[in-house]
Amino acid sequence: MDIKTAENFMDKLVKAGMEYGFEECEASFVTESSMSIDILNGEVSSYENSATSALSFRGLKNGQMGYCSTNILDDSNIDYLLKSAMENCEVLNDEDPQFIYCDENNKNLYYSQLSEGFSKNTYKSFSELGLKLEKAILALDSRIDAVDFLTITCSTGPYLIINSKGLHSYRDSDGISLMASARATDEDGSVKSGGHYWIGKDIDDFDMDKFLKKFKENLIGKMGAKSCKPGNYKTVLKCEAFQQFFMVFFGNFMATTMQRGLSLLADKEGEKIASDIFTVREIPMYENALTKIPFDDEGVLTTEKAIIDKGVFATALYDLKSAYKAGRSSTGNGFRGGSAVSEMPTNLIVEAGSKSYEELLEEVGEGIVLTDLSGLHAGVNAISGDFSLLCEGYLIENGKQGRPVEQITVAGNFYEVIKSIKSVGNDIINVPSGEGEFFTPSVYIESLAISGDEEE
Amino acid sequence: MFNDNDCLRILEQAMSTTADFAEVFQEVTEAKSVSLLNGQVIRAATGFDSGTGIRLLAGTNSVYVYSSDNDIEVLLKLAKEAAAAIKGNDKGAIAELAALCSTTKTSVQIDPMSVSKKDYVDFLRKSSDYAMNYSPLITQVAGGIASTVRTARVINTRGVNVEDTTKRIRLSVEAIATKDNEKQSGRVAPGTMRGYEFINEYPIIEKTQECCDTAIRMVNAGYAPSAKMPVILGNGFGGVIFHEACGHALEATSVGIKNSYFTDKLGEQIASSIVSARDNAVIEGEWGSYATDDEGNASSDLLLIENGILKNYLVDELGSRRMNCRPTGCSRRQNYSYAPTSRMSNTYICNGETDPKDIIANTEYGLYATQMGGGSVDTSTGDFNFAVSEAFMVRDGKVAEPVRGATLIGKGQEILKNIDMVGNDLALSAGMCGSISGGVPVTVGQPTIRVSSILVGGRE
Repeated sequence: MDIKTAENFMDKLVKAGMEYGFEECEASFVTESSMSIDILNGEVSSYENSATSALSFRGLKNGQMGYCSTNILDDSNIDYLLKSAMENCEVLNDEDPQFIYCDENNKNLYYSQLSEGFSKNTYKSFSELGLKLEKAILALDSRIDAVDFLTITCSTGPYLIINSKGLHSYRDSDGISLMASARATDEDGSVKSGGHYWIGKDIDDFDMDKFLKKFKENLIGKMGAKSCKPGNYKTVLKCEAFQQFFMVFFGNFMATTMQRGLSLLADKEGEKIASDIFTVREIPMYENALTKIPFDDEGVLTTEKAIIDKGVFATALYDLKSAYKAGRSSTGNGFRGGSAVSEMPTNLIVEAGSKSYEELLEEVGEGIVLTDLSGLHAGVNAISGDFSLLCEGYLIENGKQGRPVEQITVAGNFYEVIKSIKSVGNDIINVPSGEGEFFTPSVYIESLAISGDEEE
Repeated sequence: MFNDNDCLRILEQAMSTTADFAEVFQEVTEAKSVSLLNGQVIRAATGFDSGTGIRLLAGTNSVYVYSSDNDIEVLLKLAKEAAAAIKGNDKGAIAELAALCSTTKTSVQIDPMSVSKKDYVDFLRKSSDYAMNYSPLITQVAGGIASTVRTARVINTRGVNVEDTTKRIRLSVEAIATKDNEKQSGRVAPGTMRGYEFINEYPIIEKTQECCDTAIRMVNAGYAPSAKMPVILGNGFGGVIFHEACGHALEATSVGIKNSYFTDKLGEQIASSIVSARDNAVIEGEWGSYATDDEGNASSDLLLIENGILKNYLVDELGSRRMNCRPTGCSRRQNYSYAPTSRMSNTYICNGETDPKDIIANTEYGLYATQMGGGSVDTSTGDFNFAVSEAFMVRDGKVAEPVRGATLIGKGQEILKNIDMVGNDLALSAGMCGSISGGVPVTVGQPTIRVSSILVGGRE
């Protein structure tokens, strides 16, 4: 569906919504085109191509916001949308006021960031790259049996919002992602799997040598891994692991979570919650980010801010509803992840320290570095901050990365962990997260409980 | 939905080059849901979607194209692009299309979509009011009801022409207890393919009380120990370990590319001889059941393991080509935006002969996990991890103090061999399973079982 047809439908829908009896209403439309290929055993095993779109309507009546969504943009569907949204308003009894918004000075919001290189994303270019990469991975080490998973995907799409207050907001983005994982068998028959990923905006920016180096570390570096002795270890959470770890608990920094009594950070803005050397900023227009976000899905302009500033909880993330409840203004973090608006981060950046990864290990001396955490969707208590997770990594011996470890768990508490950060590295990675990306280096935690079954 | 003629036009376009098989999958879904938090209705939503996926196969080469636009010209264009991308040797044939066959089961008495959201809310409010007044320790109560109706039609070049409508409804209740900085929750989330009569008959007060009791017990509990020990896994959702650590490794998705530790093990002893297991998609009204899979095949009751011997894999069309065997009617997808693949339905360890009380009485020291959270597994290595949401220590054959924060880790292939007691109290429990073809409703299940040794990762 082209954006002009969608826009006409949305104008009509919003007008019909006001006539139907909503006090204010809004329509949002997203359309996405994507293409992907999978490589398996020297062939393009699968190719996918798609064009999908979705429309969401929301209307305000007696202080309640009713939602309804569809992908059928047909005039005959307008009545269904309005009726369903109105029915939803009638059963809701949310005590907190909600808003359909338009800033008088920013009625027309527009931000396009489509890359010139997108036209290079073809079946031919992806399959050539994928086949070459598969071959190169297999050549890394004779113990590699197969590249079980290698997929390259690109997608692009505009996102449009129109409301009865006069807001007309348009933004778009595009991107490419590449993921690969392989399996290797050791002399003793034990199997390890490992892989790596890349995200970018131009396929020519993909650096195969750099990718392979990291891929080899992630797979071959783990060969021969075994459990270790249980105990409290000085622990480095490597950048990938720290990213996973921090984001699992990030919901606690959202104002709505706090207001519902589901975050221990409620009423702690301005207080010290983390180590002095720990700073996390949200920079919506961060120059190194693939996606820049100048305004949120409620029509509020985004701003740069510290979330944690030298250990002090500087601000939570607010959308219009939670901001009103707290008697302050929105931080521009109202996004429509599913269909309802909730707070989401844009680009988050953990401020880097001065030490390289190797220097962090030197500082630790004897300890453990964790490279992978598993079961984050289940092994954490997001509210209390308690976690107990299956993990992998390496021992740190004499200040150097030592033998690989597996079949161990790490346990602790999120709030204690961020207080006991002793050092922050400068080995920054970026991973898609929330509405944007999360940029983080590795961090050194004073002590974490490791459970393993190697004999004393 | 398209007429037969439009479907044939798409198939012809798809087969115009070198595909040996093509399939059109068309889907219409309608969903409605309400959520309550502490007695306030904070969310009420309705959705109506449709879309079409076109799949081409040439040997094990596959092409999948899909669109939310059901315009025939848009789909013909996509089919043409797909035909250009498929890598086969010869032009395949299109068999004569059978007359449209509906396999929809009509066991639903009260259509969940016909019940008003107000009735959903009134039902949930009973639970919410009860929990909020149960104990000062209970500080939050959440509840939700979500229903969907999905009609899927499959037409392919072998002449298959099937349509199936499924209606599902799921209820969830979660009570959270607070003590100092600690919050713990108790949760139930039953799902069914029966109608709204399931909700009407559900003992909501009794179950809400159980959620509150679990939350209160866990908020007062100490941390679980860290050590290898015997673990008793309670019936019902305890089966999630079998689902993750064994079920996924039996899917053609991993076996077909030799990415599973159970590859080439048919007929071999892979589990303790007291273990038998099934994947049964034909249990009437069960949350994970379906009459027809997303490739148009009839669903089946598949014996996976018999007395410890591996009997069958879960095989879809693409997997059958890789593994040179027949599909088992287990091909599923979340919706049209995913190509289908081998998935589980209602997967469980069968009843054994031991009274669960005797399993506890025969355990000198260990962990008794009565409620499981989620977990995950790497099918190539067997590494799994599971969170335990409610557990007790067992001492001298008796259930002792409750403990929280335990995670179970190990290797799937080892744990199956270490099951040394199987109870006779089989129960099933609803869940959602995520894999490469998206999230699908499944049930997991088992009687109470004991595993002689698992590494428990706790904090003490």
